[in-house]
Amino acid sequence: MDIFTIAIWVVTLVLLVFSFLKDKEKTKETLKKALFMGKGMALSILAVIFTIGLVLAILPPQQISEIISKQNLYVATIAAAAFGTITLIPAFIAFPLIGTLAGAGVGIMPSVAFLTTLTMVGVATFPLEKKEFGTKFTITRNVLSFLFAIIIALAMGVTL
Amino acid sequence: MTKAIKFIKSNLFLTSVIFAYAVLALINPQIGLQGAKNSGYYIKEMLMIMPVIFVLTALLDSWVPKRTIIRYLGKEAKTKGVVLSFVLGSISAGPIYAAFPFCVMLHKKGASIKNVVIILSSWAVVKIPMLLNEAKFLGFKFMITRWILTVISILIFSWITAKIVKDEDLPQEELRLKKGVYLNKTACMGCTVCTRMYPALFQMDGKRAMVKEYNYLDMKLLQKAIEACPVKAIEYI
Repeated sequence: MDIFTIAIWVVTLVLLVFSFLKDKEKTKETLKKALFMGKGMALSILAVIFTIGLVLAILPPQQISEIISKQNLYVATIAAAAFGTITLIPAFIAFPLIGTLAGAGVGIMPSVAFLTTLTMVGVATFPLEKKEFGTKFTITRNVLSFLFAIIIALAMGVTL
Repeated sequence: MTKAIKFIKSNLFLTSVIFAYAVLALINPQIGLQGAKNSGYYIKEMLMIMPVIFVLTALLDSWVPKRTIIRYLGKEAKTKGVVLSFVLGSISAGPIYAAFPFCVMLHKKGASIKNVVIILSSWAVVKIPMLLNEAKFLGFKFMITRWILTVISILIFSWITAKIVKDEDLPQEELRLKKGVYLNKTACMGCTVCTRMYPALFQMDGKRAMVKEYNYLDMKLLQKAIEACPVKAIEYI
């Protein structure tokens, strides 16, 4: 558990104790609400997780970097961004991978594109996001994030 | 049987994932197994963060008044709202979907679409634990350049999103905590069938119907209204 996760746990538990001291009934209602939210999302989150697991099994990160490194710079950037959208990879795997990508001569642009879409754009999380925020919001946010991921990548390529 | 169909219908995504695994188990069990194994890590990651996110979200929902959220994260919050949104997103933990329930709650309490997008996006790409890792593997210069460019991009596209998406485009359903009558305002197309059939319970709220305060329900009338609604927007739980 990283320090921020721990901090969120500590803060929440402290708030919960305060809440309980101040109003027992309201706190009970609150916990019920939390449970209700959890129940509402649990199945969808599991679906997201198993989709990511499947995508990573069919298309392991190493293979992605192999495919990307064979393309020319601009094709590689867009391909990297596209690969980034279909999966969510935890940072501790993503950064070493991007380190090797950049080191293997793929260049900064595809690496940045991959990194940005990896976390911000989600095909796997799309159904969940749609359920929570509606179709219009989800499409707009994901499309814009994708476009800006490429813009950020290009700008990084120019400045570094 | 109908219950199973209802479950499949409301969990179409989950059903197709289970189906995909079932097919894989038949044609290529190894990949299916690898997929399940990969998922293990993500399940751990989720269990570490989701319970606490739900509790924290519910706590803020119970204790922070709507006007406070509107003042700090609403449309009129301007720069203050933008800065606060970046801070909230940056000190977060967990994958982007952990931000979903949190942001839905904030939006329901009056946070603007622009600020919701900023929180979601910075939760995904500029949170501090991630930046530290990035500096370690890719160098400080790389990290800081990407951070600056990303923050600028988020500012621009959150503004664009707010121009395209309006508050009404987000699902308006209330939390279904209690038993009672619920009306899905996103589905409602304002045909007025329900308000004419059961005027004591339904009334028009602009272009859409809403449920009035009630102490007593005429179940026969309600059932008729539920069946008559052309878009099946009324529910009784």
